[in-house]
Amino acid sequence: MDALTSILPFKQYLPHKLSYDKQETFLKLFILTFAGILAFATRLFSVLRYESVIHEFDPYFNYRTTKFLTDEGFYSFHNWFDDRAWYPLGRIIGGTIYPGLMVTSAAIYHTLRWFHITIDIRNVCVFLAPLFSSFTVIVTYLLTKELKNASAGLVAACLISIVPGYISRSVAGSYDNEGIAIFCMLLTYYLWIKAIKTGSIMWSASCALAYFYMVSSWGGYVFLINLMPLHVLALMVTGHFSHRVYVAYSTVYILGTILSMQIPFVGFQPVQSSEHMLAFGTFGLCQIYSFVEYVKSKLTEAQFNALFSFALMTVGFGLGIAGLVLWASGKIAPWTGRFYALLDPSYAKNHIPIIASVSEHQPTAWSSFFFDFELLVFMFPVGIYYCFKELTDANIFIIMYGMTAIYFAGVMVRLMLVLAPVMCILSGIGISSILTTYMRNLDVNQLKKTTSSTASSQSSSRSRRGDDSSTYPRKNEIAFGVVCLMSFFLITYVFHCTWVTSEAYSSPSIVLSARTGTGSKYIFDDFREAYWWLRYNTDEDAKVMSWWDYGYQITAMANRTILVDNNTWNNTHISRVGQAMSSTEDKAYEIMRELDVDYVLVIFGGLIGYSSDDINKFLWMVRIGGSTEKGAHIKEKDYFTPQGEFRVDKDGSPILLNCLMYKLSYYRFGETYTEQDKPPGYDRTRSVEIGNKNFELEKLEEAYTTEHWLVRIYKVKKEENRGQS
Amino acid sequence: MARLSIICIGLILFVTVWSSSLNIEGSSKRVLVLLDNLAIRETHSFYFKQLRDREFDLTYKSSDDSNLQLVKYGEYIYDHIILFAPGTKEFGGRLDAEILTQFVDAGGNVLVAGSHIIGDAIREFAGECGIEFADDKNAVIDHLNYDVNDNGQHTLIIASPDNLLASELITGEAKKVGLPFLFRGIGMSSDSENSLLLDVLTGSSSSYTANPDEKTLTEYPTTVGKRTLLVSVLQARNNARVGFVGSLDFFSNDFFQSPIQSNDGKKSAKSGNEELAIALTDWVFKQRGVLRARNIRHYLKQDKTTPSFYTIKNDLVFNVQFDEFVHGKWMPFNGTDVQLEFVRIDPFVRTTMKNNGGQLEAQFRVPDTYGIYKFIIDYNRIGYTHLFSATQVSVHPLRHTEYERFITSAYPYYISSFSMMVGAFLLSFIVLYHRDEMPKTKVE
Repeated sequence: MDALTSILPFKQYLPHKLSYDKQETFLKLFILTFAGILAFATRLFSVLRYESVIHEFDPYFNYRTTKFLTDEGFYSFHNWFDDRAWYPLGRIIGGTIYPGLMVTSAAIYHTLRWFHITIDIRNVCVFLAPLFSSFTVIVTYLLTKELKNASAGLVAACLISIVPGYISRSVAGSYDNEGIAIFCMLLTYYLWIKAIKTGSIMWSASCALAYFYMVSSWGGYVFLINLMPLHVLALMVTGHFSHRVYVAYSTVYILGTILSMQIPFVGFQPVQSSEHMLAFGTFGLCQIYSFVEYVKSKLTEAQFNALFSFALMTVGFGLGIAGLVLWASGKIAPWTGRFYALLDPSYAKNHIPIIASVSEHQPTAWSSFFFDFELLVFMFPVGIYYCFKELTDANIFIIMYGMTAIYFAGVMVRLMLVLAPVMCILSGIGISSILTTYMRNLDVNQLKKTTSSTASSQSSSRSRRGDDSSTYPRKNEIAFGVVCLMSFFLITYVFHCTWVTSEAYSSPSIVLSARTGTGSKYIFDDFREAYWWLRYNTDEDAKVMSWWDYGYQITAMANRTILVDNNTWNNTHISRVGQAMSSTEDKAYEIMRELDVDYVLVIFGGLIGYSSDDINKFLWMVRIGGSTEKGAHIKEKDYFTPQGEFRVDKDGSPILLNCLMYKLSYYRFGETYTEQDKPPGYDRTRSVEIGNKNFELEKLEEAYTTEHWLVRIYKVKKEENRGQS
Repeated sequence: MARLSIICIGLILFVTVWSSSLNIEGSSKRVLVLLDNLAIRETHSFYFKQLRDREFDLTYKSSDDSNLQLVKYGEYIYDHIILFAPGTKEFGGRLDAEILTQFVDAGGNVLVAGSHIIGDAIREFAGECGIEFADDKNAVIDHLNYDVNDNGQHTLIIASPDNLLASELITGEAKKVGLPFLFRGIGMSSDSENSLLLDVLTGSSSSYTANPDEKTLTEYPTTVGKRTLLVSVLQARNNARVGFVGSLDFFSNDFFQSPIQSNDGKKSAKSGNEELAIALTDWVFKQRGVLRARNIRHYLKQDKTTPSFYTIKNDLVFNVQFDEFVHGKWMPFNGTDVQLEFVRIDPFVRTTMKNNGGQLEAQFRVPDTYGIYKFIIDYNRIGYTHLFSATQVSVHPLRHTEYERFITSAYPYYISSFSMMVGAFLLSFIVLYHRDEMPKTKVE
């Protein structure tokens, strides 16, 4: 910090009457405030470009539940049984969600109401993630300050305010759990470090509360409850374990576990499932360790050794038996698929198609690390190096966090989000350390002048360092070069981040846009068009079948009952829909009758070249459809050509060309000209002329197709009146 | 809450009688009679008189009348059609097979009579209903059961009441009386996959359909044995009824009155034709076998209120009033085999409803599985209109306040946790305020 204040060019504009301490505080406040505002502002691209609209899929569900919570109150929300989704199973919303996000929004909404600031709940939802990003900036500063010092904290705060890896999940309108969860996570870490450092129950209890907030807002809390015990274990191994750690961990674990069990969705998992066993085991180990230390201090070495080996054997044997019994009786829940996927990236792909089908559960491509972090990728190891240089309790924590997060981010794209803060923190430490080191050498003459005018303590340190730096020639030039290079990197970082934010992460997938030939923007608003059509033209209790991706949007925007949605809790039900989509029309009709389907909705991008449409997702429907007993007749290879290709032109597999999804997507598409010099029925997404052009639908009829054919809605016909099929 | 209750009320769907534009109940009796020639009016006068006695409003038209129309100002002007015009190749005016099909789909009832010649329009209409008439000039031949008045081709056959469908609603007393039927006309075959068709009267096992003029059978007969349909009916999903009779003469005065003497000498003074023809017409024109459901109510057994949703393990009562159309009036239905299902994909509850003077009632406990259920009554019996009613309700899990507050089996845990708390408190109290005497002395 002192280095920064002394060198920054606008130093002379600071109020001169203030003492140096005050100047420093002022500067810190100034930088932090600006970083916070920047974090908020840079996330507003989508609102400025489109409108205050909710993005993606999950946020629509969150928005709908938040609305319910503000309208009906907490107890109705808690007991909410949703009969519009998962027809006819229904879904207990209150018991299957993390309510933190909704409660936070509702609290903000009611607080503002109380001050007579009337604001639409939708706007609260849209701007919640940017707001919490600003808070994250502050917490990052506090955390890094605890780890290193205030200047590193400021650098980390500035870095995190614009890091794309975090922005991708927290732009305005991206109203998702992750938006607030990162804030909660960092807050918990900050308080955890505080607790470890002070050993105070007060900080530990605060940490447990922050942990509770984290549990209530995101399923990723499992990462925290494994990282903290891992930290404690590492401290034990490295001999850093102390009474402070003991107090901190025992308090956090007990309070945190009891609090986390208050969330209905979590329930008894903290004491049953294997994901939480590390925390539990470490808690036990802490007690034993402390007890052993206590006994050791009271006994002679020989006595102690005899006692120790005896106790170890009996306890080990007893634990082994108990563990076996619990495992056999199913009390220790088997590891869930998502967690397996973390440890073994190929697990989900081989075993659970529904997990593998989600693009954000795929392993991360190397390039996306650079895309999301740019400079941080290189500065991260530097930060780790500086942490290793002075290995404190807190630094061990951030190293563990960094190593685990980078592993998990490599396994699953989605967890880039967890990596982003630690990348910023460690890079902040790295950048700040480099700058501090070289800035001192920058201009010895000027430095000397400064030294003479500052307090005596500072001057003494400066002069000593001046001696150190005279060990190599041209230190001033080298320092200048390093600082320039660093500034250059930081500037490119800013440009890169802004570009990525504006180009990649600020488009709400509900509204698509493209450039026309003249360069102006062209908006495709087909999704909302279709949902509003459903809302105004179908029976209130109409059941809509679509692939699960669109479930949340349909319930939220069209207010119609749907069969499956993005809360993929029932594999068989989704599989049933997959079977319907991948069967012939007759077979599908039976399934649709069984599930009382009135309308079928498909997304089709062939006309405008929208690539994430249902045909491109179709193989997942086949896989998921075939993954249960009832769909055993659906085999993935039937949908490929003999050469193993997935193609929709006339070489495509006849089973594919006659299944329901194909027919619904391409109904009457064969009569349509899409591109010049191409035959009718030319699919622009897959760049082929479709194979099966002239067919009629027998059991369904086209009800609505949007302007760009992006969404097509079909009505399921009633059974033939005179029984003639 | 308000929204939910609206949903509940809105969900009461009747797919019974009134899903069509034609609201046919017993009181609608406008009949269009289409004839090949108006002479049929005289040769079949007994039949028509019976209909007029039953207060049917008959309008006779020649089938090639150029002013034929079923729809006027967007509304159907007839409720039923009698097609006694087998020979008509093409109808006059605005009438063809497609319009007839639409008429049926809108809920209208049609009675069709054939003869050895069948016009294309009727053939096509029959095809739409899953009935296929044999080729022109074919006739049902039975060399073992024919009337003595037969011309030698054995086409004036005697159909035994044994081959009649056992449903009093459709065939009236004809089966009970046991008089044989005189039949001279064409045979039909039905689409075996169409579950809506009923074979009312079939030929005997020795009958077949072929061209009687050809001395030897050159090809396999169109229909053989009991597969030869003489009379068949279709009840569409919208409960419109269509009757097909292979013989126009079946309804004639001659056949109604003529005594029967079969080739093997059995005699009876009168044929059963009149009985069957009238009963069949009554049925086709919805004077019989029509059911309706009304006043569907479901409520909690406990306090007789209808909540906007049910909770698992509620005891509930389901009520519905069933009426049957008998002799021109809606009377309470007295069947005791009506079942109620509580369905969520599969039926979780299936129970026979108690009939209390047309008021059907079922009581059951909601299953211990939440979800969106439907009360389904699917009453589908031969001769009755298909009565289907589905009422959607949602079944919620328990509210957070509805669980047991204290569980008996958990008392050891309650005790242990409270004793633990007391112990921890006492221990910390002692640790904090207990003063050891010994170290003091040591220090001093």
